[in-house]
Amino acid sequence: MASERLQDDNVLLEELRGGNPEAVEALFDRFHGKIYSLAMSIVKNESDAEEAVQDVFMTVVQKVHTFKGNSALYSWIYRICVNTCLMRLRGKRRHETVSIEEFMPVFTEEGMHASLIDDWSKEVERKALDKELGQVIRKSTESLSEKYRVVFVLSDVEGLSNEETAKILGLTVPAVKSRLHRARLYLREQLSRYLREGKTH
Amino acid sequence: MNCKELVYLLEDYFDGTMEEHLKRDLAAHIEKCDPCKNFLKTYDTTRILCRLMKPEEIPEEVRVRLKEFVMEKAREHHRDIGKYRERAARERREQVAALIGAYISNRLSPTTAALFEAHRDRCPKCGAFLRSINGGKVPPPVPPEVEEHLAEFLETLPLGESPTSG
Repeated sequence: MASERLQDDNVLLEELRGGNPEAVEALFDRFHGKIYSLAMSIVKNESDAEEAVQDVFMTVVQKVHTFKGNSALYSWIYRICVNTCLMRLRGKRRHETVSIEEFMPVFTEEGMHASLIDDWSKEVERKALDKELGQVIRKSTESLSEKYRVVFVLSDVEGLSNEETAKILGLTVPAVKSRLHRARLYLREQLSRYLREGKTH
Repeated sequence: MNCKELVYLLEDYFDGTMEEHLKRDLAAHIEKCDPCKNFLKTYDTTRILCRLMKPEEIPEEVRVRLKEFVMEKAREHHRDIGKYRERAARERREQVAALIGAYISNRLSPTTAALFEAHRDRCPKCGAFLRSINGGKVPPPVPPEVEEHLAEFLETLPLGESPTSG
């Protein structure tokens, strides 16, 4: 374990610039878990995620002198991770993703709900720790296109604010909100279908 | 506010940015619309469930492998940078030595000679050092500060100007 003072971002950056191996270790220990899970959620397979994590750390080590400190260290690193993963996806055959439109709520011309809306919230409360339900959400999230998935992961899984997510992805806050909202509408619908029919679409 | 508008304003409602009058409209709508009441509850439950999602954990063997890789590559990187810095310092030393050598043996190009003498007369440190070798044929070791000054001097020469004549 690296020393206590390397927990401070500015000290860590300074030592990384100086090539201190302990600083590299501290950087790794602090960020590898987050970077891996973020990479997994974008590239969706272990070997790609592993290579992406390698690339992210090497980029950080090589570019550390260009980091100006305008944003927090973690948000700079997340941005590198998102970009690295999207570059990797670009070169690959597209994963099957669902078209999110099919899962948006439908309305009549007068703007009233055109489908039956059940209240399954009580039922879910009882199931909250249910593994199957977790699987449904995970599977549904994975079939989202990365445009929505990345926003969803940063916001709901990583717990970042809309402002932070916007900065990392280079989007506006309204764009982040709108994608997040659609991702949730989609998941709400997937959960409704699962609870109604016992399966997802 | 109708159902459709309500659904598309929900995000504002939950993140606390909805304006007061819209909140009142929303409450009034919910009061008399069961589908929207259900929608709101299930949307909220979805948000909460999503927040409970655990990030993908890194398998231990992957973690160990990655750490070794990153530590080793970072070492290589810093070693390369160290080598580069050494090479740059060596080149600088050689260039300054060549400049002093040419000065001693009167082989500076006319422009360089004029600028060099101007620097010598203006800078006490370089002036003292250059006077100390006056007449000598083999230059003594260059003090770091003088080397730095002379390296800077070389950089300020007109572009394309060769410091030595011929």
